[in-house]
Amino acid sequence: MNTTALQASGVTKRFGGVTALSGVSLELRAGEVHGLIGPNGSGKTTLLNLLSGYYKPDEGQVLLGSEDLSQRPVQARAKQGVARTFQKPRLLPSLTVLENAMIGGWRDTRSGFLASALALAGARREERELRVRALELLQGVGLGHVADRRANLLEHAEQRFLEIARGLTGRPRFVLLDEPAGGLTGAEIEHLGTVIRVMRDCGIGVLLVEHHTDFVFRICDRVTTLDLGRMIMHGTPAQVRADPEVIRVYLGA
Amino acid sequence: MCGRCEREQIEMKRLLTVIVVAAALITLPFWAGDQYQLHIAALIGAYWVLIAGLNLVVGFSGQLSVGHVGLLAIGAYAFAIIAGTHGIDPWLALAASGGIGALCGFLLGLPSLRLPGFYFAMATLAFALIVTELVLAFEGLTGGGVGLSVPSFPAPFDTSEGNYWLILGMAALVTWLTWNVARLMWGRGLIAVRDSVVTAQAVGVPVLHAKLAAFVFSGLTAGLGGALFAVIQSYITPDTFLFELGMFFFVCIIIGGRGSIIGPFLGTVVLTALPELSAPLAKLGNFFYGLLLLLVVLLLPEGIGRLFQIVLERLRPRRVESVPIAPQPERLAAAIKVGQR
Repeated sequence: MNTTALQASGVTKRFGGVTALSGVSLELRAGEVHGLIGPNGSGKTTLLNLLSGYYKPDEGQVLLGSEDLSQRPVQARAKQGVARTFQKPRLLPSLTVLENAMIGGWRDTRSGFLASALALAGARREERELRVRALELLQGVGLGHVADRRANLLEHAEQRFLEIARGLTGRPRFVLLDEPAGGLTGAEIEHLGTVIRVMRDCGIGVLLVEHHTDFVFRICDRVTTLDLGRMIMHGTPAQVRADPEVIRVYLGA
Repeated sequence: MCGRCEREQIEMKRLLTVIVVAAALITLPFWAGDQYQLHIAALIGAYWVLIAGLNLVVGFSGQLSVGHVGLLAIGAYAFAIIAGTHGIDPWLALAASGGIGALCGFLLGLPSLRLPGFYFAMATLAFALIVTELVLAFEGLTGGGVGLSVPSFPAPFDTSEGNYWLILGMAALVTWLTWNVARLMWGRGLIAVRDSVVTAQAVGVPVLHAKLAAFVFSGLTAGLGGALFAVIQSYITPDTFLFELGMFFFVCIIIGGRGSIIGPFLGTVVLTALPELSAPLAKLGNFFYGLLLLLVVLLLPEGIGRLFQIVLERLRPRRVESVPIAPQPERLAAAIKVGQR
C-alpha cells in the first residue's frame, strides 16, 4: 500500500519583487482528497506548479516521501507517479481521445525510438497493453463512446474528464487537479465527484484546487486555505468552514 | 454493424490499397511513357527518402528545418567520394552516407534544437549555406565548382529501371520505418512536443531527446536520399544543392499537411512531377510553388492530406451525437487497480 506523502515544506516562490507564496506547507497523503482553496491570486496554482515541477521553489522543499524533488525536472514527476491536469485543458487536438489518454502512459514506454521505428515485438506489446489500459480508463470515466473521436471535437466537460483519464493512464500515486469543476454543469460536477472518490478509494492522493467551495467541502477529507501567498487555515472541511478568518477573506458572511 | 467487423473491414481496404499502389509502383517502368518519366519517378523516390524522415521533424515534432539540403549534399558527396574517388563498394558507400548524415544531424541538432522555432529555422538555414561554402573550399576532396562524377550501383541496379527499383525499395523501407514511429508511442510524443510542450512534460516525454531522435533519423534518411539523388544525377556540383531545394522539401511537407505521411508524399509527387511533366508549367515552376503554397496556407492550413480525410468523412458521415458523460465507478476502480499491481 502507498503510504508516502507528497509534501510542500515551507516553500517560498517570488516572481521579481512579488512574493507569490511565502513559507507554505502542505502534505498530500495517499488515499485522501485534499482541497486547496483561496481567493484569486492567493497562490493556489503557484503551489500546484511547484508540486508538479513547473516552478522551482526559492526556499523550502518539495518532497515525495523523504526524497527531495525540488530541483528535479517536470518529467521526473510523471516517472514518480505524480500526475496533474490543467485549468485550461491541454489536449493534443489532432489526436483521437484514445491516443490522448495513451500519451499519459509515457512512463511505461521502455522501447527507444529505433525499436519503435523497427516495430520490434516489445514496442508492439507495450502499445497493445497501453491501448487496453487507456480504453478501460476511458470507459471508467465515461468517455468510452468517444474514444475514436478527434480531441478537437470534444465538448468542454469531455476535455476535463479526458485530462483525468490521461493522468490515470500514468498509474499515478498522486493526482493534482487544477480547477477540474470549472465550466461543468451540476450533473457533471456530481460525476466528477464520483471519479475523484474512486481515485481516493484506490489509494491515490488527490489535490483539488477549486473555487466551487460547496463541492470542495462535500468531497474533501482535509482543506488548506491560502490568502496572499500564506496559509491561513488548514483542517477538516467543518473546521475550515467555521473559521472566521476564512469566512472573512474568502467565503464571505 | 459491430465495431470490430467495421475495423477489420477498414484494415482489409487499407491492405488492398497498399497492394494496388505497390503493384502500380513496381510495374511503373513497364507503363511509364518514356525514360524521362521514369527519371522523374526515381527523383521523386530519392526526394521522398529524405522527406519521409524530415516529415518526422517538421510534420510531427514541429521543428521547422529548412536546411536539410545541407544534409542531402553531405550524403551525396560522401557517396561520390567514397564510391567514386576511392572506388569502395557502392553498398558500403550508401551505408556510410546514411551514417554520416545521421552523425551530422546529431551534431547540428544537439545545439540547435534547444532554440525556439524561428531561431532553429535560421540555424538550419545557416547550416545549408555553410555546407555549400565548405564544398567549394575543399576543392581537392569535392572537385569544388567543377564537381564530381558519381558511379552507379552494380548490376542489376545499373540500368535506369534497376536504379528505380532500388530507390523504390529504399523509399518503401523508410516509409515503413516512419509509419511505425508515427503510429506508436514516439509519434504521439513528437506530436505532444509540437502541440503542447507543457503536456509533453507533464506526461514525462523527454522533449529534447525526442526532438533529437527524430532529427538524427532525418539525418540518416537525408544521407541515404543524398546518395540515391547523386546516382540519379550522375554528376554533382555545388549548384545541384541550391538553398531553394531545402525550401522545396519543407514546402512539400507543409502543403501535404502536418502529422500525416500520405499528405507530404502527395505533396512531394505533385510538386516534383507537375512542373516537370507539363512544359508550360516548367517555365513557371517557382510561380507554381508559390501559388500552391499560398492557396494551401490560406484555404487548407492542415494540408492536402487533411483534405483527403475530410472528403472521406463526408462520404461516410458519422453522427456526432452528444451523449452525457456517465462514469462507471467499478470499472474505473478495476482499471486503476490493474495499473497499481
